[in-house]
Amino acid sequence: MDSLLLQKTSSGAMPMGGEKLASAEVDLIRRWIEGGALLEGEISGATGDSTLGQVDPRDILVTVVNVKCLLCHGRRRQEGGLDLRTREAALRGGASGPAIVPGDPDASLLIRRIAAEEMPPEADQARLSYRPVTSQELDKLREWISAGAQWDEDPPVVVDPDTDPLVSQADREFWAFRPPRRQSPPKVNAENRVRQPTDRFLLAKLEESNLAFSDDADRVTLVRRAYFDVTGLPPSVAEIDAFVADDSEDSYERLVDRLLESPAYGEHWGKRWLDAAGYADSEGQVDYDAVRPHAWRYRDWVIRALNSDKPYDEFLVEQIAGDELFNYRQEPLPLKPELGDKLVATGFMRMGPDGTYSVSQGFVAERLTVVADQLQILTSTVMGLTVACARCHDHKYDPIPQRDYYRLSAILRTAYDPYDWLSPSEADIGPDADWNETNTRLLPGAPAKAVDEVARHNAPIEAEIADLANKLRELPENVRRKLLEVPVPQDALVDTRKVLSDGLAPEPRGEDAAQDSSEPSEEARALLDALVKARLNLRTKPKVRAIFDMGGEPTPVHVLYRGEHRNPGPRVDPGVPSVLSEDVEPYDLQPLEWSSGRRLALARWLVQPSHPLTARVIVNRIWQHYFGRGIVESEGNFGRTGTPPTHPALLDWLAVEFVEKGWSLKALHRMILTSTAYRQSSRIEEPAQSADPENVFLSRFPTRRLGADAIRDSVLKVAQRLDPNPFGPPDEIEVKPDGEVVGKDTDAGQRRSIYVQQRRSRPITILESFDAPQLKPNCLRRSKSTVASQALQMMNSEILRANSRYMAGRVIDAVGEAPQAQVERVYLTALARRPTVEELAEGTNALGEMAKAWERRLDERVPMEPKKSKARWLALATLCHTVLNSAEFIYID
Amino acid sequence: MKAYRNHRGKRGHTAQQPSRRDFFSRVGDGLHGAALASLLGRDLLMPKSAAAAVGERRVYDLGVRPPHFEPKAKSVIQFFMNGGPSQVDLFDPKPALAKYEGQPPGRDLANDIEFINEAGGFMPSPYSFAKQGQAGIEISEILPHLAGQVDDIAFIRSTFTTHFNHEPAIFIMQGGRQFSSRPSIGSWIVYALGSENQNLPAYVVLDDPKGLPVNHIQNWQAGWLPPVYQGTRVRSEGSPLLNLQPDEEYPPPVLDLARSLLARMDRRHRELRVGHSELEARIMNYELAARMQLAATDALDVMQESKQTRDMYGLNDERTASYGKRCLMARRLVERGVRLVQIYIEGQIWDNHENLDKSLRYACGKTDQPIAALIRDLKRTGLFDQTLLVWGGEFGRLPLAQSREAGVAGRDHGPTGFTVWLAGAGVKGGTVHGATDEIGYKAVENRVSVHDLHATILHQIGLNHRDLVYTHDGRNERLTDEFPARVVTEILS
Repeated sequence: MDSLLLQKTSSGAMPMGGEKLASAEVDLIRRWIEGGALLEGEISGATGDSTLGQVDPRDILVTVVNVKCLLCHGRRRQEGGLDLRTREAALRGGASGPAIVPGDPDASLLIRRIAAEEMPPEADQARLSYRPVTSQELDKLREWISAGAQWDEDPPVVVDPDTDPLVSQADREFWAFRPPRRQSPPKVNAENRVRQPTDRFLLAKLEESNLAFSDDADRVTLVRRAYFDVTGLPPSVAEIDAFVADDSEDSYERLVDRLLESPAYGEHWGKRWLDAAGYADSEGQVDYDAVRPHAWRYRDWVIRALNSDKPYDEFLVEQIAGDELFNYRQEPLPLKPELGDKLVATGFMRMGPDGTYSVSQGFVAERLTVVADQLQILTSTVMGLTVACARCHDHKYDPIPQRDYYRLSAILRTAYDPYDWLSPSEADIGPDADWNETNTRLLPGAPAKAVDEVARHNAPIEAEIADLANKLRELPENVRRKLLEVPVPQDALVDTRKVLSDGLAPEPRGEDAAQDSSEPSEEARALLDALVKARLNLRTKPKVRAIFDMGGEPTPVHVLYRGEHRNPGPRVDPGVPSVLSEDVEPYDLQPLEWSSGRRLALARWLVQPSHPLTARVIVNRIWQHYFGRGIVESEGNFGRTGTPPTHPALLDWLAVEFVEKGWSLKALHRMILTSTAYRQSSRIEEPAQSADPENVFLSRFPTRRLGADAIRDSVLKVAQRLDPNPFGPPDEIEVKPDGEVVGKDTDAGQRRSIYVQQRRSRPITILESFDAPQLKPNCLRRSKSTVASQALQMMNSEILRANSRYMAGRVIDAVGEAPQAQVERVYLTALARRPTVEELAEGTNALGEMAKAWERRLDERVPMEPKKSKARWLALATLCHTVLNSAEFIYID
Repeated sequence: MKAYRNHRGKRGHTAQQPSRRDFFSRVGDGLHGAALASLLGRDLLMPKSAAAAVGERRVYDLGVRPPHFEPKAKSVIQFFMNGGPSQVDLFDPKPALAKYEGQPPGRDLANDIEFINEAGGFMPSPYSFAKQGQAGIEISEILPHLAGQVDDIAFIRSTFTTHFNHEPAIFIMQGGRQFSSRPSIGSWIVYALGSENQNLPAYVVLDDPKGLPVNHIQNWQAGWLPPVYQGTRVRSEGSPLLNLQPDEEYPPPVLDLARSLLARMDRRHRELRVGHSELEARIMNYELAARMQLAATDALDVMQESKQTRDMYGLNDERTASYGKRCLMARRLVERGVRLVQIYIEGQIWDNHENLDKSLRYACGKTDQPIAALIRDLKRTGLFDQTLLVWGGEFGRLPLAQSREAGVAGRDHGPTGFTVWLAGAGVKGGTVHGATDEIGYKAVENRVSVHDLHATILHQIGLNHRDLVYTHDGRNERLTDEFPARVVTEILS
């Protein structure tokens, strides 16, 4: 039982009226008490194992041994038979004898080898991102061994919600930390405006302020709204006509069903999930911004999961712990598709920016940031909590102690161990990696068809490479050294280096170095060039970017004060925030035969039906995408600093209903789409304008600007340049000489933005100007800016101009040369409505005038085509371009 | 603090809706002024009701905002010397290196060396240093032009950072942390202060036509600040802004017809949607974009300068022409009220890993004359006293040789002690602040962190780094975060 002093200070009850003590201070008190609560000057008369006043073993182990020794003397490797993970093993030592002789640093091999600069080995320090032991660290090691070389024997912090000094009962009572409760939809006056139970909650609030829903939007507005909201694309002219002509009672409901069944639904809503997951096709952080060649399989998995309406609980479990759902290590390869998919899903846990493949950015501090980003993605996206503050200190406003942050991070430790790190670079793995290959982030679980196809393509090239490699290996050493200096494209670098330096003796240095300024012979260069060319022709072997346990016992997790790895605090076990324990099943860790089970326990904990956050957070975010604002406006922060829900009962009703309906996202979409709230007009009228100016109560549908992807995709669609092919590797991008980044054309135009490569360092310009987020690490709601560069992009970019000319061509194909029919078609195609009489007159008039002006231009430079018809086509293209620039094209009512 | 984040508190207002013209006259005749006016008019007069329930709505635009206190500088020009210029060869003479020449570094230095396997022994500078100016500050012989301006400059010889690799160190220099998520200092400044000129971008980036610096466009990112605060790349060759001009312009009558048709469409669209001020802002944006085509083209046309001026910047010399042009553009931009100009340089010319002498002379040859010319020109035009100049890279270099072969050696990155200099508005010229150790490896005296440097830059432009706050994910974020940071008052007048 903790001392009262500790309880009071750690819960914040003491000191009175002041700020709560930092966890570092609380920990100091705890250690002081455990050390006998000695007063200044007193000397411990106990067993003498108190480490107060001496070098702290935890400090030595976490900051020196873990960082500089364990890579070769730890879990994966025990070089020379030495394992430094436990005191027993260190005392036992390796082939050369005990590493440590307690009390006698000079007799300890550990000290002798380090002092002689033999350890850690100089040869690998650049490649494996470690550096020598500093003299200060060496002194500390000596001191520690002199004092007996104690190991860090403090048990992990025990967290019992009933006695937790850091989280109080009052903390647990906060609404977002209690399970949602079933609410009955209230009675309302305007019964005739109720289409869905959700409408009751909204109406009740509106009626309190003497407001009501607005009238239903007209069918033409509604069809465009629904198309964009469900698919992110405008309706085609035929689709509009069909809907407007259908006067059956349930025509709208059937439209909603059709839209939800459309593959475009998964693409549009998948993109939102991918933003939340921080999806990108490159690693970021390092200038080279290495491409992630396998990430797209996860993107396709998300789209397919949404389209097949995979229940949200399964959707989460597979993404967090798909590898812990079946013993993949025992499955024969290639995997059955349904099993492979479970590994692909875990790509979710590998999406944060990660520069640790660079040896200059592969140190412990950077690795910890990768883990922190991944945790940030998980907690903000799934739990609606901002825990990032607690990486460095106890959360100031929410009851998330630093301890709980590190308990959460311990769940990831079996896969992301900063002291035993897997590089995200594929270059580090062997070509024949199998399940037992531990030095990779990738798993061999790709579908058989893809594996076979690439194998067939690569077989002859691989034979050629083997042949070239043999010839290169036979070259004299000095020639190979010269060849090593020849610049080689990055993608071929590692493999060519491997061949050229194979068996090469270390380079002679200093005076022994031969002065050789000759160039390699042409034959040697030709061999190298051929090798590079062949290497570049190799297709990447299909693999799965997955998360998985590395096996064995990971290094222990400590609280890191100020988030610094040189500043370790107490040890913690995996766990979930203590504040989420009231009426919530606890985190239940069940070790598996092939894996620790840590993530599966987290996933199962998250999807328990009464979890306070999981369902609320996702229904809120979906609501937000429809109405521009969530019921909780701060969609990633349900804590105390977040905004309280505008309609708490509605949020709870939705959450409970969602879970009871089997976590079906499509059912949720259908309910929202068919509600009166959604079907309202967006017109702003009194008294709503005065009483609800921000539309918090949803007295009308909010007029909204389209997102970046929908804008680009719509331009392509109305120009009939949208390549409908789904899935597969992302389309390449191109940086034009003026710096504009665009997608490369396919045979059929360009594909939807979700299928274009998302390179962190090279965002597509049109998407960037319309607020496509920089995923650092993720984004739950895109901002909507209004800036001049958007106008420049829409007016002057070649994308808009070229697509306007395509659009004009298709309009002429469809309706011929009659100006009135053309204007009508342009409006229908781009704005999904017919022009008014005034607009029709204005448009035809403009067409005539513009055609004359274009003709005068063509007189100056006579074209190959017939002048008059070209002028009319250019005039129509200008009209299309103008309409694509209009506010109406990028706003939905 | 609240005052500048929340427009309500900022300007006195009456119960009457201010006229459109009122606002225009106060915030310039630009788009953002207009958007601001319409947003403000609405916010000011909005009955307190539901809005209060969901927290205050903020307006993010580039309208002028008051600083925290009377600033010394109106604008900042930053010479971002990406790559890591070598302090011991340029600004920080270390004769003692001769004594240790060739000796290998010990285990402690090794922890600060990136290319550890190539580390050679200590290497003295190949250059001589002579006392310059009235202040008698020692400057390397390869900076002859800057030597004439040392009395205008305060040299901080004790700057240090915490990462030895470019990307993280550049992120630290730009945004205060070694990771790529944070807004750059330029974004913070325009977020706080807006811009004096609504026809030009507030935060201009003049990158080198030869290529983007390391970290690419992330150097001037807004991070989680609203995107309106990110830097705008302005090209010094061809069309200055992306899509400022189309590949082929429509015939003028077509353009006029299209513009007036668009204006009518958008006006009608907007009239049916009262209360949507962003629609108004969007309309004004199209007008701004049109004006920008003229304003930006004019601002960046260095041929409007006299031949004498152009020659002073070295536009007549192939070596200096490119950087000189960007320096001259910078002057023309700050003259027009642009808040912040960052000048970048091709790839990594200060990253002198090998052939120190050759590569360092190249970098100095490109930049020395233009920078000195800019200082003189700013003094001539009276802008020097209201413009803060900042020169520095993401780190310096080690006093060691890189490569164990003689003759071709360069220097590896040195984060623990390097020189940054400031000049202009409120900076005490002819000053040397801080010192590195005997060998120029580590800052030991009056150490200045990157956060100190940030605090100092913000201070000169009228901002207190503790009060420059943006709430993101429930956390109050600052450029200086929670790091200790102090204004380097010793170099200020």
